[in-house]
Amino acid sequence: MTKLKSFLLGAGCAAILGAFALPQAARAGEPTLNLFTWSDYIDPAMVKTFEKQCGCKVVETDYDSNSEMEAKLKAGADSQYDVVVPSSYYVARLVAEGLIQPLDHNAIPNFKNLATKFQDPTYDPGDKYSMPYQWGTTGIGYLKDQIKDPPHSWSLLFDPKVNPTYPFTLMSGSGQDTIGAACAYLGYGFACDTKAEWLAAAKLIQETRKRKNFAGFVDGLPERDQLKAKVNSAGMVFNGDVAASYADGSGKDIGFFLPKEGAEIWVDTMAIPAHAPNPKLGLEFINFILDAKEGAALSNYNAYSTPNAAAEPMLDPSLKTELVSPSAADFKLLHFLPPLAGAKLKLFNAIWTAAKQ
Amino acid sequence: MSTMVQSEARSRAWRLWLTSGPGLFWIILFLLLPSGIMLGIAFFTNSDFGSPVLPLSLSSFSQVAGFGILGWTSANFTVLIRSLLQAGIATTMTILLAYPLVFFIVSRPANLRPVLLLFAIVPSWTNQVVRTYAWMQLLNPFAPVSHLAQSLGLIPPHLGLMPGNFAVFIGLTYNYLPYMVVPLYAAVEKLDWTLVEAGRDLYASGPKLFFNAVFPQTVPGLLSGIILVGIPAFGDYVVPQLLGGDKAMMLGSLIASQFTFSPDWPYGAALTIIMLVFTCIGLVVFRRLTQRLGGGEGAML
Amino acid sequence: MSNIPRGIRRGLFGVSLPVYALLYLPLSVIAIFSFAPSLHHPGVNLAAYGELFNDATVLAALRRSITLAFGSAILGTALGTLMGFGLSRFRPAKGGGFWVGALPSLIIYTPIIMPSLVFGISELIFFNLVHEYTGLLSAGLLTMGIAHVTFQSPYVALVVYARLTGLDPNLFEASHDLYANPIKSFLYLTIPVVRPALIGGFLLAITLSIDDFTISFFTAGPGSVTLPIYIYSAIARKGSSPEINALGSLMIATVIGVALLYYFVTRRQQQRSRQIPAVA
Repeated sequence: MTKLKSFLLGAGCAAILGAFALPQAARAGEPTLNLFTWSDYIDPAMVKTFEKQCGCKVVETDYDSNSEMEAKLKAGADSQYDVVVPSSYYVARLVAEGLIQPLDHNAIPNFKNLATKFQDPTYDPGDKYSMPYQWGTTGIGYLKDQIKDPPHSWSLLFDPKVNPTYPFTLMSGSGQDTIGAACAYLGYGFACDTKAEWLAAAKLIQETRKRKNFAGFVDGLPERDQLKAKVNSAGMVFNGDVAASYADGSGKDIGFFLPKEGAEIWVDTMAIPAHAPNPKLGLEFINFILDAKEGAALSNYNAYSTPNAAAEPMLDPSLKTELVSPSAADFKLLHFLPPLAGAKLKLFNAIWTAAKQ
Repeated sequence: MSTMVQSEARSRAWRLWLTSGPGLFWIILFLLLPSGIMLGIAFFTNSDFGSPVLPLSLSSFSQVAGFGILGWTSANFTVLIRSLLQAGIATTMTILLAYPLVFFIVSRPANLRPVLLLFAIVPSWTNQVVRTYAWMQLLNPFAPVSHLAQSLGLIPPHLGLMPGNFAVFIGLTYNYLPYMVVPLYAAVEKLDWTLVEAGRDLYASGPKLFFNAVFPQTVPGLLSGIILVGIPAFGDYVVPQLLGGDKAMMLGSLIASQFTFSPDWPYGAALTIIMLVFTCIGLVVFRRLTQRLGGGEGAML
Repeated sequence: MSNIPRGIRRGLFGVSLPVYALLYLPLSVIAIFSFAPSLHHPGVNLAAYGELFNDATVLAALRRSITLAFGSAILGTALGTLMGFGLSRFRPAKGGGFWVGALPSLIIYTPIIMPSLVFGISELIFFNLVHEYTGLLSAGLLTMGIAHVTFQSPYVALVVYARLTGLDPNLFEASHDLYANPIKSFLYLTIPVVRPALIGGFLLAITLSIDDFTISFFTAGPGSVTLPIYIYSAIARKGSSPEINALGSLMIATVIGVALLYYFVTRRQQQRSRQIPAVA
């Protein structure tokens, strides 16, 4: 027994020592910014720059949908993170729920860098709770080598005749994008917001779910990655994720289009959770992102458009494609999702839950 | 005299709580209390944002019963039946695989048996997420197995063997096979072979001999195995989530999504009650069976 | 056993071989894929492993997993040993009524039986409530550790209980007469006697902690991503990636290595203990 015991003790000690010899995540006493953002949405080099600038440590945690972020905040994460990145239509909801706090504009002098059309938006009058981060569109991503010349329409997902065999997905998360897509396909327009339209869209989604080649509800970036891995052949993705996969050569078989029935345009914003442990650092981070140079670096990394006017001159020329910068014709198709709160939100959630089951 | 017995009993009880107390208190504080709170949430009303609010109501249970905004649907019922079926089928499969395996191990020389048993268990020591991921790699639409199934016409072209019910079945069987092997091995190793010899003289033929002389002796191990496989398989989260997705949703994923995606805590809590009720029914039934069939569980508390 | 007829033994071998193959097929597929050629590295390559060892996130997750496993196993073993010891020594042999007899067993079996999903979500809600009202127990390694201790200690208690019930009760009576002091009796008799169970229980606790995903997932906080959580989120997102294949392969290799080591160490000991009486 003694041999075994000393062996185990030795192994245990070695493991513990090994554990602490590995790079330490956070030294005690050092201020920490807990960043809660979308996967792959910020250049790790920028995080390093910010760490140097603020003399703090950044701990980044990722999510893939607004609803995932909201559910986490609800379950206590509103006292764990200092910055979150909700989409524009989610801001009002988080405010009504008491999950984010007003921003101190004095601490964000770089606010002046924002293009005027991104200041004082309808989803957050007076920029009281949020600052724009990036903006982009949601369309359909598909595998060009499998689905040849698909119609630029939501029918690729919703019409069994257009795609009878290839596995496809619908977007998960809050459901507003997916219900919007179904509404657009049914002719109600992408930004539908009446009960009758939602119900019709939910019925369509229920029917779609029953199809053999429906592969599940998958969020935007995961769907892009699954297209790259060829796990399925079509689904709803964000434009910048596709552009980024072109840039590093990993997504050369992925095609992207904005369906002609209408598609989503969104602005992602930065906000500070209601009980953030370190809101001062949060403000410092928001101001850092709105800096002209950093704003350009951000877009050059994640291939999304910037709301930062001062950053424009420093943008990579590859971002000038129609994919990243929609044309005037595309803009006619694009709609913002309606912000929901109160009884209407409850109704929508009930419909979405029913549609998904 | 009686006071001495009494004070002796009291001092034993006192020592019992002194030694076992901290651990028991820990479990009460960090598991029984939290799950009590969780179950209580089921009786609250859902707020606009999915939080539990007053007044108390049973509306979450009508949601569980299938009454939603689109009228009544059988969706929840289907999920429950699927969870029960998947657990049942996976348990049956582990039994079918574990019996020959265990008898094979026992039929080998005594010094080889531990290593053969060890190699049956080792895969279960890797993390469940990694094990399930391995099957995702094998059942993908572009995996050779899927191509074979496509060309045999078992699945439509371009699709994979995952996500879906089949993948979940495979994943559950793979994950829980060792939990069937271990108790069965314990039972078979203690097998009284003189009974088998006697049976051989009486019945002679193979299957008859097995079911009359061998099988009854393995029943206690089999029942432990069914509890160890069936109950966790019914409540599993990782396997149906990764291998089934939305196509083969089981109760675990349905509950989790009420807390991690579109929040509706009272509904999620009510679903949890359903899961616990079925878990308890399964436990009680198989415990009763074990007791009736005289399964001596050596060191049960 | 020679009682099994030869034909049946052959049949058993024929059926069991594929079962063993099935057990190791998925694991070997991951290992093979981890060396698969990629876009920038054609041919067999070790790039995925290289990236892994330079990935600070993975290393930090590994460090947290180990800290969590050992930290929780130490406390879980202590609480579990005390529980197993108390129940085997101080509970009346028969009955004892609900409070002393049935209730402790019921409490100990709850964490083992409760589906881990229910376990995890209950803890999530509970820690959240506690934090909201007291500011304590912010989700992180601490809350994960608390949850792990909760499911480890009952298993350790069962292992220790099983060891103690197999012993002659007169042993304890004798030590009671010898030492009188119950603490001394515990230290000099009980601990040495249960040592194998203690070590076994500790190892079991570590295995349970490393194997757990669901409970960790729901009790984790921003800075406490452990290896299983890291792998799960990578899988849920990408479906497949060379780094995950490499990481999975390393975990599998570690487990198989430890299993082999364990086997050889115990076998040598068995051989030695068999030799000693022969020499004497």
